[in-house]
Amino acid sequence: MLSIENIEVAYHHAIQVLKGLTLSVEPGEVVALLGANGAGKTTVLKAASGLLPLENGSIDAGQILFNDSPINRVAPHELARAGLIHVREGRRIFAEMTVEDNLIAASYALTGRKEKPDYDAVYAFFPKLKERAHQTAGLLSGGEQQMLAIGRALIGQPRLILLDEPSLGLAPRMVDEIFDNIARVNQEQGASILLVEQNASAAFRIAHRGFILENGKVVLEGPVEQLRENPDIQTFYLGVGEQDDKKSFRNIKHYKRRKRWLN
Amino acid sequence: MGQFIQYMINGVISGSVLALIALGIVAVFKATKVVNFAHGHLILFGAYFYFTFSVVLSEAAFMPDWIRSWDPAWLQAYAGDAAMFSPKAAIASWVSDLPRILLGLIGALAANAVLALIIERLVMRPLLGQSAFAMILSTVGLIWVLEGSAGLIWTAEAEQVPALGPNFPIRFELFDQNLFLFSGSLVNLVVALLLFASLMLVLRYTRSGVAIRATAEDQSTAYAMGINVPRVFSTAWLVASTTGAVAGAILASRNGLSPAIGLFGLSVLAVVLMGGLDSFAGVLIASMLVGILSSMAQWKLGGGVAEIVPYVAVLVVILIRPHGFMGQEEIERI
Repeated sequence: MLSIENIEVAYHHAIQVLKGLTLSVEPGEVVALLGANGAGKTTVLKAASGLLPLENGSIDAGQILFNDSPINRVAPHELARAGLIHVREGRRIFAEMTVEDNLIAASYALTGRKEKPDYDAVYAFFPKLKERAHQTAGLLSGGEQQMLAIGRALIGQPRLILLDEPSLGLAPRMVDEIFDNIARVNQEQGASILLVEQNASAAFRIAHRGFILENGKVVLEGPVEQLRENPDIQTFYLGVGEQDDKKSFRNIKHYKRRKRWLN
Repeated sequence: MGQFIQYMINGVISGSVLALIALGIVAVFKATKVVNFAHGHLILFGAYFYFTFSVVLSEAAFMPDWIRSWDPAWLQAYAGDAAMFSPKAAIASWVSDLPRILLGLIGALAANAVLALIIERLVMRPLLGQSAFAMILSTVGLIWVLEGSAGLIWTAEAEQVPALGPNFPIRFELFDQNLFLFSGSLVNLVVALLLFASLMLVLRYTRSGVAIRATAEDQSTAYAMGINVPRVFSTAWLVASTTGAVAGAILASRNGLSPAIGLFGLSVLAVVLMGGLDSFAGVLIASMLVGILSSMAQWKLGGGVAEIVPYVAVLVVILIRPHGFMGQEEIERI
């Protein structure tokens, strides 16, 4: 479905963010991409969805394949129309437009395809959006805005959704609800999902495979069950294990030493 | 009271032309976040194109006679022996001018559209993703490019062009006051307001309008959702250049064709700032206000001061509301 091969990405031709990153998403799969702030997670998504040039970024080496065709230089709207849709960090809904207009704007992803925009399907998926169809989108709650952001992607009948931090700024209960929805999108619509998250345990709950990103490279990858068992991931991402030796100063040094493999 | 209403009407008429000019600036700003300083000179080109097609071309040797002056038998019969300056005579002379007016309008719209597409493709598109400031300054550069090339192509002499509508004085009574206006101005008012209203309706109620508003709000997200953002940009320039061509034709037929139209168009930027760069409704209000204010100032204070008064008002408004009447607050100021 999506295959990113050894890409190197730099902003302004000076700040290198991705240093030979490789990852893949298979059809029907939910793949979690985890990593600390600044590791380059969002850049991976922007590289795949063609948004990099708008932010003075460029793919200097390697290639990205979507359905086996190279997409390094394809414009974002073409990719959306081909079924690769990027739900951006911070939801990025059109705050001054109504919920309905947000969905109509998203229907441009269907340009050049046979499918008609199916608003009822999206409203059936997110009944709350139907209630608020004629409200200004900026007045929705954070969770509803995230639903709208995902609903906008659904209108385009995507093959692959790039989902950037859907849990950002949401209450824990809302996070669970959103992730349930994401799992449903994957199962019911058959869309593959590349999920960028800070909240590792939430992501692992619905993902099939995971990639751990540190400093622009993948340092660990594998099926989620396997990653869950990894003691380093338990310490650094899931916040469990080795709880008892936290207080000792010696162990802070240990943390730093252990963290070094990631770099 | 009669005087007051009279100047009010004059103000609304000149305000509507301001609104038509402002429309183009707002359309480009909303879609691309670029303040187009060269819009006045786009209008200047529209005016010159109107002149070229309706006067120069229609009088060319290869043009059939009926384009220069259409004179069918029924028109002669209609005009008959109508008195000079009577509505009948004015309408008859307008109908005989109609072919070249239409030729001028169509030609000006098409030529200005091509010009805007060239500007968008060659000057603005390569700057996509750069700071809006770079794009804004290149429109400032465009002013001189356009002004210079207009001077090379056309002579700088003031020329007369045919008005868009028949021009005869209308006298009427309102609240027992005798008032009068020219039908030509009334046509200009209607044309300007119709264009303004139809653009607002398209933006509000059509699917393309949704795409344009989405782009206005968040370019990169719109792009990532399948909206062809570069095409929205060129559409915005098209809207600006074609409405600008109409504005140019109106200005040229009202005040005569001269390079000063460019500067006049530039001064409308102040009106746009007063209304709020990204608000059609705010800009309409501001245009009417400035139109009425300058007409009132003309009445009470005389010509010289009248030039300044509206812009002082703009300054005051911007001091109190830096983002204009209805503009959004986070907008970058220029």
